Amino acid sequence: MATTQVPAPAPAEAPSGHPRAGLLEYLTTVDHKKIGILYLYTAFGVFFAGGILAMLVRAELAEPGLQYMGQNSYNQVFTMHGTLMIFLFAAQVTTGLANYFIPLHLGAADVAFPRMNAASYWLSLFGSLIVLSSFVVAGGSAAVGWTAYPPLSDARYMQGTGMDLWIVGLLAVGLSGILGSINLLTTIFRLRAPGMTMFRIPMFVWTVLVNQLLILLAFPALTAALAMLFLDRQFGAGFFNPDQGGTPVLYLHIFWFFGHPEVYIIILPVFGIISEVTPVFSRKPLFGYRAMVFATFLIAGYSFTVWAHHMFTTGQINLYWFSIMSFIIAVPTGIKVFNWLATMWRGSISLTTAMLMVVGFLVVFVIGGITGVFLASAPIDFAVNDTYYVVAHFHYVMVGALLFGLFAGLYYWFPKMSGRLLSEAWGKLHFWSFFVGFNLTFFPQFLLGLSGMPRRIADYSGIDRWTPLNLISTVGAALTGLSILPFVWNVFVSLRKGAVAGDDPWQGNSLEWATTSPPPQHNFHHLPEIHSERPVFDLRHGLDHPEAGSHTDPQTAPERG
Amino acid sequence: MHRVHGNAKTIARLVGLATPLLLAGCAPQSVTEQGAAIGRLYNLFLAVAAVVWVTVTGVMVWSLVRYRRKDGDDRLPKQTHGNRYWEFGWTLIPLVIIAGLIIATVRTQSTVLHQQPDPDLTVEVTGFQWSWRFAYPESGTEMVGSSRHPPELVVPANRTVHVRLASADVIHNFYIPRTLFKRYAIPGTTNEFDLTFTELGRYDGNCAQFCGFGHPDMVFSVRVVTAEEFAGWVTAARARSTAQRAGTTGG
Repeated sequence: MATTQVPAPAPAEAPSGHPRAGLLEYLTTVDHKKIGILYLYTAFGVFFAGGILAMLVRAELAEPGLQYMGQNSYNQVFTMHGTLMIFLFAAQVTTGLANYFIPLHLGAADVAFPRMNAASYWLSLFGSLIVLSSFVVAGGSAAVGWTAYPPLSDARYMQGTGMDLWIVGLLAVGLSGILGSINLLTTIFRLRAPGMTMFRIPMFVWTVLVNQLLILLAFPALTAALAMLFLDRQFGAGFFNPDQGGTPVLYLHIFWFFGHPEVYIIILPVFGIISEVTPVFSRKPLFGYRAMVFATFLIAGYSFTVWAHHMFTTGQINLYWFSIMSFIIAVPTGIKVFNWLATMWRGSISLTTAMLMVVGFLVVFVIGGITGVFLASAPIDFAVNDTYYVVAHFHYVMVGALLFGLFAGLYYWFPKMSGRLLSEAWGKLHFWSFFVGFNLTFFPQFLLGLSGMPRRIADYSGIDRWTPLNLISTVGAALTGLSILPFVWNVFVSLRKGAVAGDDPWQGNSLEWATTSPPPQHNFHHLPEIHSERPVFDLRHGLDHPEAGSHTDPQTAPERG
Repeated sequence: MHRVHGNAKTIARLVGLATPLLLAGCAPQSVTEQGAAIGRLYNLFLAVAAVVWVTVTGVMVWSLVRYRRKDGDDRLPKQTHGNRYWEFGWTLIPLVIIAGLIIATVRTQSTVLHQQPDPDLTVEVTGFQWSWRFAYPESGTEMVGSSRHPPELVVPANRTVHVRLASADVIHNFYIPRTLFKRYAIPGTTNEFDLTFTELGRYDGNCAQFCGFGHPDMVFSVRVVTAEEFAGWVTAARARSTAQRAGTTGG
């Protein structure tokens, strides 16, 4: 049975001989590391399910006409693909990494509320299962797109319990997010080790801090939108029904007030991962630490002022405000990219798989970011809104940037979590097949969108010029799907036979590298002194090294005794 | 000297390769005045974007090649934590670029959304599951399509066509790709805008917002004709719809 927050002396546990936890232990655990791993496994389970749906979509679109499924099945498939990937994978997978690494980064024994942490996980799992169960009810799952705009999602147009299960399941997942966010925020504010001042916490912790603040502010809006949708469907409440004095535009406002910050909820922890991995493999400190912190807060603040750029073509909003705000959000995002480049500049770069993933991240994130600036311009959005251009843009960010960043984090942290290194050879095969497959899938979609191909159609008969680009995209998707296999194989084999990693295989900077791999249940047998944002660098080079302990805030005394 | 010549050749070859790619990424030729303005704006953005992407990726690739760690090299590079001048620079330069793009956007936007106080023709467009109704209130004619029989919107060239857009059920999105323009049809709300077609011909249109089972069938076409042809078409259409109405009443 797991117990928590034991700042007790070290048990007789060999550093690399960590006993394998049984199933019962995982079912009952309140240990943040095990819960983090549960989140990761669950998220990847959802990722495979959503990925199979994506393959079905691309198979259907390979050529015009209906080949593999009817219109109705296709509508369910793309709706559930988006739902699974955005709500149940992307937001959850970074929660898994945050769960595992935030206490380690802070020098804490666990999160602030371990039981609530377990409750969040189980709530999100059951919510996810409720959403997935909609596939087996009569009438099938929701078939309204992941955004579920009324009146289409209203009971008048979308009958069947699948839609209701979708709403209820996501309400549960949303609640789990709010609980999790209270937990992680409290952990970051209250459980930092002596000497770990706010301006010494790793950038990953900063980005998770801001990401959890966004969850706390944005998820209640999602809860409200879903609750109103549910009341409309079940009781004819009429919030979004013009015949009863309501309007669907209200739903769009509330949904996107959540929906745009959601993009940053997903991507900010990835920025954090890139800010951890790049310095270690460039052997330089993160360039402009404080600027990075402020840019993170700026992005988060702006993210609440730009939601209606998803509504430019509704004709019901103030274009100037939402357009100009959406342009400006590119500036703090640009600062981050330039700071990462400056971190690599004049460094000593080793192109491990983790670092290759950072390179992949930068290439695709810059494309995703730049096309985001196109979409901030309302007239350009008039042309490409609801077309494959938008699909390409957000997949560059939400698939490309997210997955390259995530894989960077996984190759970097796998040794800490398992005690063993992932194979570099399989990792490089994984990187190259994913990099080629991804761009082959999504770059043609920019051109398809520009020439007018709308989203969410199963058949494009009669428009021959779309066929070649769709075929390329489908071939790319198949390669992307296959690129996951070397990764899965790598994890499977390395868990059993991988080279033993030791405590600090990469010469890391942050505190997790000062404990064993995997860490003991209470995380640290002893903590190094913390004088900068790179305590393990200081430890390695000795405090009398000219660089050790540098670039910290003037306050050198521990914040709390 | 030889080296420089080689480099110039490489650069020329790269530019030669990049040009068709960039052209493929240009906005399609629009058939309306408003759409042409959007197309020009898009191409401006594309040019700026190409420069930014090449710069950023170039710096990254240079770093990877130039600062790659050699085997056995365990030296620590100079530990730079930041540089406020550089950081100020890469805050300011994007701000200037963004400001330029905002100005271009606002100018195009006012062209695109400008509505003539006295349009030559008004068309009422209503989306429904799963087709369109095009009504001409000035002449009392209308076209109602179905999934099987997509309707045709007939408009005169070089005239201002004022569109009043509504929906009878769920949200639709009125989209004619060659106009580079689209607008939601929202139940309970009317959206209005002008289109001025400059090219004769027939163009595809569709619903761009997913609206249920028959969404992909919700297509239509636009036929742009001369003003004289349009007058003739109105007369014929009016006679046809009167006959249809009589037929319906009689049956």
